Amino acid sequence: MIIPRTIRRMKEKLEHKTGPYAHLFEPYQGDEVVSLDCETTGLDVKNADIISIGAVRVKGNKVLTSERLDIKLKPPKTLTGESIKVHKIRAQDLADGIELEEALNQVLDFVGNRPILGYYVNYDIRMLDKFIRPRYGFGLPSKAIELSHVYHDIIKWRSVGGNIDLRFDTISKHLDIPMLERHTALGDAITVALMYVRLKYGDPPEVSC
Amino acid sequence: MPSSFNMNNLPFSLLTEEEQNMLRQNLDIGYFQKGEVLMAAGSVPEGVYVIYKGLVSESEAVDGEDDGQEHVFVQYQEEDYFGGWSAIKGKAIHDFTAVEETICHIIPTKTVLDLVATNSLFADYFTQNLAAKAEIMEQHSEDQDMAEFMLARVCEGVIREPLIVVEGTSVAETTKMMREKHVDCVLVKRGSRYGMVTGTDLLDAVVINSLPLDADVAEIASYRLISIDPDDYLFNALIMMTQQKIERIVVIKSQELVGIVELTDVLSFFSSHSHVIGLRIERAKSVEGLHQAAQGLNKLIKSLVSHGVKTRFAMDLLAAMNGRIMAKLFDLMVPPDIQPHVCLIVMGSEGRGEQIMKTDQDNALIYRDGLAWPEMHEVMQRFSKQLIEFGYPKCPGDIMVSNPEWVNSLGDWTQKLSDWSSSWEEQDQMNLAIAVDAKPVAGNPALFKAGRNWFFKSLKNNDLFFSHFAKVALDFDTPLTFFGNLKDKGQLDVKKGGIFPIVHGVRTIALEHRILATNTFKRLEALAEAGVIEERHAKDLTEALGLFIQLRLRQQIKRADEQEAGVDLTPNTLDLQSLNKMERDLLRDAFHIVKGFKKHLELKYHLGGR
Repeated sequence: MIIPRTIRRMKEKLEHKTGPYAHLFEPYQGDEVVSLDCETTGLDVKNADIISIGAVRVKGNKVLTSERLDIKLKPPKTLTGESIKVHKIRAQDLADGIELEEALNQVLDFVGNRPILGYYVNYDIRMLDKFIRPRYGFGLPSKAIELSHVYHDIIKWRSVGGNIDLRFDTISKHLDIPMLERHTALGDAITVALMYVRLKYGDPPEVSC
Repeated sequence: MPSSFNMNNLPFSLLTEEEQNMLRQNLDIGYFQKGEVLMAAGSVPEGVYVIYKGLVSESEAVDGEDDGQEHVFVQYQEEDYFGGWSAIKGKAIHDFTAVEETICHIIPTKTVLDLVATNSLFADYFTQNLAAKAEIMEQHSEDQDMAEFMLARVCEGVIREPLIVVEGTSVAETTKMMREKHVDCVLVKRGSRYGMVTGTDLLDAVVINSLPLDADVAEIASYRLISIDPDDYLFNALIMMTQQKIERIVVIKSQELVGIVELTDVLSFFSSHSHVIGLRIERAKSVEGLHQAAQGLNKLIKSLVSHGVKTRFAMDLLAAMNGRIMAKLFDLMVPPDIQPHVCLIVMGSEGRGEQIMKTDQDNALIYRDGLAWPEMHEVMQRFSKQLIEFGYPKCPGDIMVSNPEWVNSLGDWTQKLSDWSSSWEEQDQMNLAIAVDAKPVAGNPALFKAGRNWFFKSLKNNDLFFSHFAKVALDFDTPLTFFGNLKDKGQLDVKKGGIFPIVHGVRTIALEHRILATNTFKRLEALAEAGVIEERHAKDLTEALGLFIQLRLRQQIKRADEQEAGVDLTPNTLDLQSLNKMERDLLRDAFHIVKGFKKHLELKYHLGGR
């Protein structure tokens, strides 16, 4: 998945070299990342729709919750029983949601060319790309940082040969990071951001496998 | 949005909803490793930090070549906030270091300043000293006391059993029955209904409406009864009575008559019973009667405290009560012709009027030189024994009138005071400290005054004495560093750490300036008035001491309740776990004041080098 995306990005970078979105393709120089999470109506990218997007900037060892994105969208047609049980967002909760176009605009603005951090982040990026590509002619160009990979890379040295439990709840427990509002987009984004900061700046967590 | 941020803690609970939202909008979250410096002294702080998880210590900046021992002021833990002062000043005053891994919410300085500008209560909280802080807390907990006060229910002991007569009873008979039962109202049963007849109704019927004495009382009863459920709040009963302009309410539970609540009962339930006990003490004609009155005191203390009466006033009241009990007992036991020649004094905390629960009796007797009263020691023995029976425990140091050491003629007494003041023995210093807080309670106070005035004169300009006397106040460390380990070491001795240094320090200064008052609060007032202590410091010390005593008292009552014998075995222990965050905060500030005061004593009496 990563390699085709890289190639596609190079192509899109060429195409948009002179367009209004050229700055998105610049290599990122700063020290910020954006932790991003989408709540969707399903787990299948083809058929699911986005219902809310949460994102927060991480700068150094700080999670800048004061600079954040907390978007609710208009309720899509696919908002039905099963997914409601997970995220507990009903159609009426989205009554004052905004249009998808406006939401995508805000996301591009907020993320810029910063790396995107997430838990199973590719799913979120593909989800966004599905809607961004037909409208802008390119996918999110930013580098992706996968939290479970960061975690895995640090943990693997301590549990040679063993399988590493990469479930969200397990990671959060091992890192001793409190889960703030699981299954709201912004809550998950903040939790992931905290885990990232913890992994990046703290001592490696004690893990007994 | 981070809803993880707890707005229920002071000072954030002082903000309006709008302001709380504004605060939420601007929060950041910081992550700090163990040992990382969150804010260095002298740097520009990012804002106010509120700990979500972890532990942070505040310490004096270390000057490179110090002995390496940094001086930790305070440790902050979950839900504590810090950096308020620094944020407002725009410059950090101390180093703040993460003791363990810490996650903090950060409120940016700009937001803090905005909030300070818009919300004056919030601003006060951040910028004011302890006295103001305590006041804010008091105002807020007032609702709580009020709630407690209003939450008493009708069924909690104010329901009276009604006098019931059947239909057909004559007015004359009814009146007789009411007289016999000492009630002012009667219920008349007519069929399945009840009607009420009061004394006024009877009077009106006979005098104004000229009904015959054998008229049926059911004819004059009023059947429109106002009723209340026994589980309803007593306060509601009071409101009903006020609204309907009536003095009695019938208590009915599921159609069943339970009793009557009278206005006077409600009112006396709400008022403290101090007046009643005072009267009982005065009227007691025998030791037994006095004993009963003394029993009521503990109950009174509890009701005062639970009604939120300021501890200081409760103490004044209690000291007066205790004094009256002792004076009365003295009156009953010592023959009247002897009384003008002797003086009973109480000393120590009793002399200062600072004891709340009945603690040890510290008392002594001074008699006129050359008094011939052979039974003196025997009477004093009985006196002490009687007080023990009243619930005043024996003094462990045996400082009571049953001990001949503490029964002296005026000449011996002054000699003793002077011996103690020139002695360096610890026991003598202790005795002196107890004796200078003495207050006469019975007999002839002139004897006591003569002794005291002589002693004051003898101490004039004796700097060596004061310096030595003051030293004891510094004997115990201020338990400030305890706070970091709150969780495992959840207890501290508030007497050694807080109360004693203040009391003894103030005692020393008061003695030097010949302040006649013995109560520490009054001594502080007098010292401030005389300009010996700065007004501001006196106020802070007063608040700190008040806080120590109040917190201690609350826990004493709780422990005494839990113990079967009703006696608190560890009266000076403060269990930090049962304090809320705000109280711990106040306690910390109060200990800082103690620390500052000790430093002041050190300088004043040249006690350096410790």
